[in-house]
Amino acid sequence: MKSMRLSGYFSTFQLILLALFSALIVVAKVALRTPLQLPGHSGIFWMAIMLVAVRVVPKRGAPSLVGLTSGLLAGFMGVGDFGMFDTLLSYTAVGLGVDLALLLLPDVENIAQAALVGALGHLGKFLVKWILGVLTQAPVGFIALGLARSLAGYVIFGAIGGVLAALTLAALRRAGFFAYLAEKK
Amino acid sequence: MSTRRRLFLGLLILLGLAAVVMGVEFGRGFLVRSPEQALADAAPGSVPLYVNGSLAALFTPADLEPLKKASFLDAEESKTQEGWLLADILRLYLPEQALLSDTRVVVSSSSRGKSVELTWLQISEPENMILFSLSGRGTLKLASRLPGFDIRDTWIQDTDRIEVLEP
Repeated sequence: MKSMRLSGYFSTFQLILLALFSALIVVAKVALRTPLQLPGHSGIFWMAIMLVAVRVVPKRGAPSLVGLTSGLLAGFMGVGDFGMFDTLLSYTAVGLGVDLALLLLPDVENIAQAALVGALGHLGKFLVKWILGVLTQAPVGFIALGLARSLAGYVIFGAIGGVLAALTLAALRRAGFFAYLAEKK
Repeated sequence: MSTRRRLFLGLLILLGLAAVVMGVEFGRGFLVRSPEQALADAAPGSVPLYVNGSLAALFTPADLEPLKKASFLDAEESKTQEGWLLADILRLYLPEQALLSDTRVVVSSSSRGKSVELTWLQISEPENMILFSLSGRGTLKLASRLPGFDIRDTWIQDTDRIEVLEP
């Protein structure tokens, strides 16, 4: 029933695109490694892909669906240090965070807005990890490194990812990708 | 709503969320920090030092760096065992008056299921060379030349608790 409702809201083509973006997020998380040993550095890839997905499928709920799908994929692939539940929640939180941020900042082709949406979305992931740490009283790795530093890392790298997304979207627009996409719908 | 106002509001929300996190964490860290939480938040590999059941200190091998190292050649494999004397570590964290000749010290490893009970008299004797050497994976191993506690089988690898029992 749920998939029927989804396919009513999103076209099959859009669902395929969102699934591809979800897979791309997981692949980026696993395969792309930066030499930065800083908390939240993967947000550079994360948020860039997520915000491009948002513009390619410009519908409310698209980022949440990408977050949920990538969370499921990543969870089953064993990505993340704190178990599947944490992975699923934190990935979904990124999508939800982006969805909420888009209510206020809808233009992700604007660099400043994209940076802020990236920072807010990536903060969602940090908040999930932090809340789980508070609730379970568990020694969360990033807390040991210093909470302020981790928080700043998540915000800064999320914002950089947002900027990269805005630049990518500008390049896609110049290449006529969105005109091509409009024909596909 | 203008773009500038949207950006300002977005920034405000971001700062607000950050302030909430930092505020709650400040309260969690400084107002309701129990010994159990101190243990839970301790750096991986920290060794707790208890005195009569109460947590007195937590240390990692890195905290011992300022201490002078000692070494001896073990009789079993003729390998050099180098590290920090247990006596120096106890003196670092406990007042001298807490360390009487019949003060007992129990060093244990929960992962190995091993423990040893020593007296301060044995520990403070330099000839016994009761010391913590650093294992390859960064855990502490209690080794010594004390007769009866001078072979690998008796040493305490992966030490994760020190208990001082005052008379």
